Amino acid sequence: MSLESKVKKIIGKFPYNISFKIKDNIVFLEGVVEKYEEWVEIGLEIGGIKGVEGVVNKIICKEIPEKQTEKDEKRKEIFEKMKEKIIGSYDIVIIGGGIIGTAIARELSRYKVKVALIEKEPDVGLGASRANNGMIHPGIAPPKDSLKRILNIRGNAMYDELTEELGVRFKRVGSLLLITPRTLERYKKYLRGPLFKLVSKYILPWIVKQKGVRNGVKGIKILRGKEIFEIEPKANKDTIAAVYIPSTGIVDPYELTIALAENAVANGVEIHLNTEVVGFIKSNLSIEGVVTTKGVYLCKYVINTAGVYADEIAEMAGAREYTIHPRKGVILLFSKDIEGWIRHCTAELRFPQPKTTKGGNINPTIHGNIIWGPTAVEIPDKSDTSVKKEEIDFVLKKFSTIAPNFPKNKLIRYFAGVRAPTFTEDFIIRPAKWVKNFLHVAGIQSPGLASAPAIAEYVINLLRKMELKLDPNPNFNPRREPIPSVAEMSLEELERKIKEDPRWGRIVCPCEMVSEAEIVEAIRRGARSIDAIKRRTRAMMGFCQGSYCILKIAKILARELKIPLNEVVKEWKESKLFDGIVRGESS
Amino acid sequence: MKDVIVIGGGPSGLAAASSLAEKGYNVAIIERKEELGGILDQCIHDGFGTKIFRKALSGPEFVDHYIDKINKLGVDVYLESFVKTIDVEGDLKKVICISPKDVNKLETRALIFAVGCREKTPFEIKVGGTRPAGVYTAGMVQRLINIYGILPGKNVLLVGGGDVGMIVARHLYLEGVESILVVYPEDFFVGLPRNVQQCILDFNIPYRPRTIVKEIVGKKRVEGAMLTKVDKNWNPIPGTEEFYKCDSIIFSVGLVPYTGKLEEINAKIDPKTRGPEVNEFFETSVPGIFAVGNLVQIFDYVDDAVESALISAEGVEKYLAKVPKRTTPIKINPGNNVLSVIPQRIEWEDNKDIISFFRPAITIKNAILELTNEKNEVLKTFRRPFVRPSTLERIKISRKVVLSSKEVFLNVRESS
Repeated sequence: MSLESKVKKIIGKFPYNISFKIKDNIVFLEGVVEKYEEWVEIGLEIGGIKGVEGVVNKIICKEIPEKQTEKDEKRKEIFEKMKEKIIGSYDIVIIGGGIIGTAIARELSRYKVKVALIEKEPDVGLGASRANNGMIHPGIAPPKDSLKRILNIRGNAMYDELTEELGVRFKRVGSLLLITPRTLERYKKYLRGPLFKLVSKYILPWIVKQKGVRNGVKGIKILRGKEIFEIEPKANKDTIAAVYIPSTGIVDPYELTIALAENAVANGVEIHLNTEVVGFIKSNLSIEGVVTTKGVYLCKYVINTAGVYADEIAEMAGAREYTIHPRKGVILLFSKDIEGWIRHCTAELRFPQPKTTKGGNINPTIHGNIIWGPTAVEIPDKSDTSVKKEEIDFVLKKFSTIAPNFPKNKLIRYFAGVRAPTFTEDFIIRPAKWVKNFLHVAGIQSPGLASAPAIAEYVINLLRKMELKLDPNPNFNPRREPIPSVAEMSLEELERKIKEDPRWGRIVCPCEMVSEAEIVEAIRRGARSIDAIKRRTRAMMGFCQGSYCILKIAKILARELKIPLNEVVKEWKESKLFDGIVRGESS
Repeated sequence: MKDVIVIGGGPSGLAAASSLAEKGYNVAIIERKEELGGILDQCIHDGFGTKIFRKALSGPEFVDHYIDKINKLGVDVYLESFVKTIDVEGDLKKVICISPKDVNKLETRALIFAVGCREKTPFEIKVGGTRPAGVYTAGMVQRLINIYGILPGKNVLLVGGGDVGMIVARHLYLEGVESILVVYPEDFFVGLPRNVQQCILDFNIPYRPRTIVKEIVGKKRVEGAMLTKVDKNWNPIPGTEEFYKCDSIIFSVGLVPYTGKLEEINAKIDPKTRGPEVNEFFETSVPGIFAVGNLVQIFDYVDDAVESALISAEGVEKYLAKVPKRTTPIKINPGNNVLSVIPQRIEWEDNKDIISFFRPAITIKNAILELTNEKNEVLKTFRRPFVRPSTLERIKISRKVVLSSKEVFLNVRESS
């Protein structure tokens, strides 16, 4: 069957008048549907056809208010105003400062090229990079023939050296996939009597292990009975078997993003924050300049690492080959005083995987917290990181079968991140089909964090193929010093540091034991908001969530930046911490 | 080597320290802030000291009384000092604390924890929605206004009908916010009646009972809240959701004792009070480690917190003098219609009456408080015209009443 007839067949299943066009294996869809879930489903089904390299879903969904036109007009307006204002001339412009953009920037800083990374937010890592569970996946889950698999396996292996160089905390805690009476519950009617136990205990773990082995994952072991509880004592006692994967790791995803950015900058990359792309200056089939809210970045190559906004960037560049369908993940965070309650990244296998809730674990975090989630829910709004009470309760229920007696009252925070999948669901990392010097790095969802270092390496190779000359940067220094942490320091070292600077001994955040010196250092390194300080120092991340220390930190920030206290922001310039009337005697 | 170190320089810590210093013990206070006084430095409203001084003082006035004493007695005070670790080696306790001056390694025989409590966060009551700027806790706002001279916002939603919430609501009103609404899930304000009158009714501050914030709305700064009515079990009533426009949401939804360091040294925690278990002299389950004030039980009056501190000072004296304990302690348990009780056990050989504080589980008029033993025999009864969960009850129990029991229970019932 031709690609065309396969697409036709799928469209025929839906009761709508949908038209399509295929160009270089990219499918463009147009039409109108009623429900958002139908909009997602059509895209996914067509994206699932073998040979389809991208789905651009321009179908209008009646449920979702149209906002794109307004956005486009605003961009056009800024474009006209800014298109003559030249900021500078670069070899490469990277659009988007998440984990992928910063990893590529740092990798490029090994070479003698002029790189600008532009980011619309006031800090790096403000998209999905700050709101995931920090798991460095082993590579067991991606399909054998996917790009995800190759880059995940490679990326995972690169983590020891990368985090050592950057002074970022990383630990290979290993993961456990539990097989319980619930795993094959749905198939119980076909697996009568002892067959159920046999399949659960012997056959299924073997199949899972074989999948991992075929994917190239090393060291996988099957555990049964006592062996499981020896390494994970609090796992559900009804667990029948478990697949143990030693290479799984955990990392603090924003610590890593910030470290990559800092190291890239130290090696010559320019990072321009608060800079949003509004269009491109093109000649023939190439991009000559990236137009932003700050002005024009002239460039030879553009790398699109814009996460959930990658499709909009590609559209502006005339390189639209995919549509992002945002998928939200809700995560629950538990306090550090139950550190060690769960030791591995632990998940319970369920077949078939429920569509909207696949994935998710109970994981330890690198700082000693425990984290539950994420969920997986298709949402129309890319910026919707709200968490509903029902979602909190859902997660608390869903994961409770992994470790039934978990002290749920130790919940201290919840948040959501939005993944950036395309309808083909694999990573899309390739030169654009219709624009010469534009490189797609899109559809980076799980295991994007684990793959990030390998993606950066892969991108360098692609750039070489795109005829970018890359000579080594003789001054490249791979090392970055972390902000020293009083909580992790020996008493002797702390005593020495206090003698140098008393601020090391002034503990501002008691929950996480963060000193004034650490906060001042975070500001020196570029933190301009309360949340930026939080991500760099862990201040305000404890039990009280900053209710004790946030005012002290605001005061330090105001002092260091020489601004009035009521100008201090939580994150954005529109998120002033104190919005009220100031009395005369204010400090 | 100190006789006793007090951790926390709030009213309870200062009261315990001054009482012991007056008796000639070698005392030190460790305080994490730049000044002594604890939370009272920001409590500029009156009403403190009605029991001890027989007048309504402001917070700073009340605590100044104790700070003066400490200064006059020459007690060692370590300010801006953060306790990193505590090692208990039998009678010897080693405390390591960090300050901008140095890392201090102190040794003591007895230790009093007077570290108070923290505010419950909106996350702990599972408020949904976004996480923008403009969400505060009440104590934070009180500090912001009274110490820093800044208002959080212009249109304020205050969540919680307790004393702290009401006091902060009045304060916001007096400092000139444009609008304010108080919501709470109960049928009535749960704080003291005098605060309902003086903070809410006297200023016509609007309030809505049986209402909670379901979701916070606003991406960068608070734009409003999704309110919903709740039934008597605090479950949202479908169809009652309403968007309320505001720029700030202040949560005053309870206080939680700071037990982290006590848990590190394996002191037993009572899940009902969320504070440490204590005996009748406020000694925790770790010998020589005492706990007082709001760390043990959230008191309604600072006067009662101070009383707990003074009792603990007597306990420290006994501990230092190695006064023997009973072979088996008498347990005190919450019985019918009682949520929690302190002390949780009686264990010293002594003649002194026992001061007990307990929290009723329900609201009852003409209440009878009954002390029963393990055989369900009534040992003693007390009468109260009115009890309710939000008011902590204080009773004095004569020691000889309970001395022959293994276990006693505190019950509340309606007078028949």
